[in-house]
Amino acid sequence: MNIALLSQVVEALPDPVAVFDAQLRIVLLNSAFIEENKTNLAIELRAGDSMLRLCDAAPHVTDQAIGHWQRALSGERFSLVVPFGQPPLHYKVSYSPLYNETGDEVQVMMIIRNVQQETEARRNERFFRSVLEHLPVGLQEFTPDGWHRNMNPAQRLILGDEHPASHGPYNVFNDGINQRSGLTRLLEEVKQRKGPVKREMLLGYNEVHDDNVTRIQPLYYEVTGFPVLDLQGEIACLFIILSEITEKKLAVLSLEKSERLLYTIVEHLPVGYIQFDNFGFIRRVNQTQRRFFASTGLEEQPGSNLIQDPFARLFELDQLFIQVLQKGKMIRLEKKLEFQVLSNGAKTDREVFLDLTLFPVEDPVDKDQIVVALVNDITEKKRQELENVKTHEFLMQTGEIGKIGGWEVDMTTRQMRWGAQTYKIHELPPFTHMTYEKAMSFFSEESRERMEQAVGACMQRGKAFDLQITVNTARNNTLQCRIIGKPEYRNGRMVRVYGVIQDVTEQYRIRNQLTRNAELMRLFFDTIDMGYAVMDKDGKVNFINRKAQEIVDHGKVIGRNIFEVFPTLVGSTFDARVRQCMALQAPVSFSNYLPATDKWYEFLLAPMQDGNISIFTRNITDSKKMQRELRKANDQLSSLNKYLVNQNKQLEDFAHITSHNLRAPIANLKALMQIMNDTDGEQEKELYRGMFQEVIRNIDETLNDLIEIVQIRKDLNVERERLVFSERLQKIKDILFVDIETSGIELLADFSEAPHIEYPRIYLDSILQNLLTNAIKYRSAERKPMLRLQSRVVEGAVMLTAEDNGMGIDMERYGAKLFGFRKTFHKNKDAKGIGLFITKTQIEAMGGSIHAESRPGAGTKFIITFSPE
Amino acid sequence: MKPLRSIFIVDDDPIHQQITEIMLDRLRVTNDVKKFSDAQDVLDHIRQHLAEPASLPDIILLDLNMPVMDGWEFLEAFSVLRGSLPKPVKVYVLTSSIDERDRQRVSMFDFVEGYLTKPLTNDIILGLAR
Repeated sequence: MNIALLSQVVEALPDPVAVFDAQLRIVLLNSAFIEENKTNLAIELRAGDSMLRLCDAAPHVTDQAIGHWQRALSGERFSLVVPFGQPPLHYKVSYSPLYNETGDEVQVMMIIRNVQQETEARRNERFFRSVLEHLPVGLQEFTPDGWHRNMNPAQRLILGDEHPASHGPYNVFNDGINQRSGLTRLLEEVKQRKGPVKREMLLGYNEVHDDNVTRIQPLYYEVTGFPVLDLQGEIACLFIILSEITEKKLAVLSLEKSERLLYTIVEHLPVGYIQFDNFGFIRRVNQTQRRFFASTGLEEQPGSNLIQDPFARLFELDQLFIQVLQKGKMIRLEKKLEFQVLSNGAKTDREVFLDLTLFPVEDPVDKDQIVVALVNDITEKKRQELENVKTHEFLMQTGEIGKIGGWEVDMTTRQMRWGAQTYKIHELPPFTHMTYEKAMSFFSEESRERMEQAVGACMQRGKAFDLQITVNTARNNTLQCRIIGKPEYRNGRMVRVYGVIQDVTEQYRIRNQLTRNAELMRLFFDTIDMGYAVMDKDGKVNFINRKAQEIVDHGKVIGRNIFEVFPTLVGSTFDARVRQCMALQAPVSFSNYLPATDKWYEFLLAPMQDGNISIFTRNITDSKKMQRELRKANDQLSSLNKYLVNQNKQLEDFAHITSHNLRAPIANLKALMQIMNDTDGEQEKELYRGMFQEVIRNIDETLNDLIEIVQIRKDLNVERERLVFSERLQKIKDILFVDIETSGIELLADFSEAPHIEYPRIYLDSILQNLLTNAIKYRSAERKPMLRLQSRVVEGAVMLTAEDNGMGIDMERYGAKLFGFRKTFHKNKDAKGIGLFITKTQIEAMGGSIHAESRPGAGTKFIITFSPE
Repeated sequence: MKPLRSIFIVDDDPIHQQITEIMLDRLRVTNDVKKFSDAQDVLDHIRQHLAEPASLPDIILLDLNMPVMDGWEFLEAFSVLRGSLPKPVKVYVLTSSIDERDRQRVSMFDFVEGYLTKPLTNDIILGLAR
């Protein structure tokens, strides 16, 4: 072995290297080795030193090191990673036996490499990978072109086993679903911006089994896409993170629904409601408030700011608003408003008391701070209160507030005695002379009657009494009093009746107020056009308003279990939703069709704090039915309109006919009269008489034609019968036998596709006769005349075509007049221009149509469409 | 007084033709009345005699409703032909129609001298001659 060469090689290596022999003596070592040991073990080694010096410097690795060296000296080439130091650094130690020429192993080369970085890197990767694998959000990696590279288990779960990315090459940009969901757009934006993009998406649906009801629930995700850039700033790969937010999203949606219902409730509250946004703009005002605005004559200005609003300024609402918003606290106060109202052109002063409640609310949807003002017009209540205060003051002035006063009637003298309080109650000066009759006079008539009965019973049978009576005091105040009386006996004889009188007006008023409040609540729930009921968690109905009572349409429901009253509700949508509402402790809304009554209802179920459920329901059938009715009415209207347009057209036709065809002969008559009067010649007069006759014959003919037309138009309900085309044609052929023979017309008929028709017999005969007559009358002299009749069914209607090879007609020139009254186009003496007009009238009267196709010299084709029956 | 050389009556009603001719004769406004049942025949006549003013009418009394060629078509054709006439030919529409739409439509032809409704009276005829 060339030691010199080996020594150069060893020195050139960057890692610490030492060569030692069988005696563990260092033969060669490079400066890196020396340096390493100097730093780590504080020993300076040189060639010829024993390897054991290393063991001396680091005794804890001695056994291990010597073991390794022995293995290497026995000829094994190996390497291993060993930790060393505190904290341990990792070194890879490689042993390579070196052989001399004879092949006997003599020396071992030991190379030590610091592999700390690699070790750490590998460990880090394992760490991050395990983190990603266990992330609760889906993570998927794509190439910049969108090819799927990798995903974590959460993502695999989201995509499902069926997803193509789990089975082979998959490009996220080529998947149509992503186009629709918006994922493609998101990733393109990520690529464009080279930065993260976040969006909420609806990526799928989930089936939720709720007892026997299965509902499809949308799955919402928050999707974050971001790029990983390489050193050049180019996109190395794309990542998406999917995080399910269905719960959140559904919660928001259900909030919005509740919001809508809340809106309806707010709208119908018997208390004024104004809602401001955090800038002080009015956002919502309910109808009570609108009515109030209207009655005050103050303009409600939803677009204007609180600070400028006249109403708000009047209330000093702007200041209150700022207070509420800044302190976040509810304010309740009473305000007195004085202003002028214009009524009947005159200004009158008005005074209004308002119970104002302002409180801040966080908008559940957009999280904005808003302020709600409840405005209760308490003018009436206030006035009563003021009245009461006055009365109270008055009582205070006259002494102590009357509480309980004593009284007695001496049976022997019939003398009445009152205690001081009794006088106070009656608002009389003390010790005024009092008799039984005078005392009775303070009672209201009805009270007096009851009192006299009670006193009578007391005196005759000794029955004590306790009555509620109405007292009109000396100062003419009306009081509610409780009067109690008892008899007293001495020696078996009644000597007096005595008792107390108590002013209970205050208590009575409070009790009255309470019942009134409850009544008001009931009235409110009865008035709103919405069913309202409260039931406990088992279905027992605790409250039901009138509307809901109407809806359930069942005698007594209150206090009973709804599921027992209506067993069909068990297991219904309603049932499922009630349970859902209980389970979620959140409002649930839905609409439901009740087949028994053929009605649609919209429901809102809201859980209450006491464990009951509030049910709001509204009949939405009418709005659905109304839509349908409206559409029907519209259809009828448009058909009526069509009928009227048609009628108009016919009237116009008639006006035209009268103007042209009746005026012409009349004009002739007038002219004839004139020239006849101007002449004396008897011969001339004879000529004119002949002309008179001619004109009159003409008028007669025209009138007869018109009468026929009017008859047809009038007879809209002329009887239809089932007619066979071929039979009717045979009949016409018989009538026109002579004309057919002389013209030599060839008749071809094919009624196989529609052999029958439901039609008035005279009309069909007339139509066929006119068609045949026309074909004969206007036949071409150049060829053997022919008429081809054919019936078919087109779009449910019978269609009859009559095609001849006659003279034809210039449709461009005469098309508009073809079916006109007394219109002719041929210098044919027979032409009267009435046949086709009648034909058209007969067809249109039955709801059909006729039109013609023709070329001069080639023939004419009439196409008749009978209305479908 | 015979100021008018010739008058053409264009009408498909033979009675009307006859009455008008009698009235014109009586009032001696012309000694040459020609009757046509079809506007096409008038048009043909005028075209054939463009070079002979003596054969052309001074006045045409034109009906509107006629078979084959009606008054409207005649007016259209005549408006083109008018420029090449050797002498003025006055056209009066003489119709039984009192329909305002017909009157308006006639007024679109500015060369038409008047819209007359049947029956003709002596006063009208004398007005034509003036």
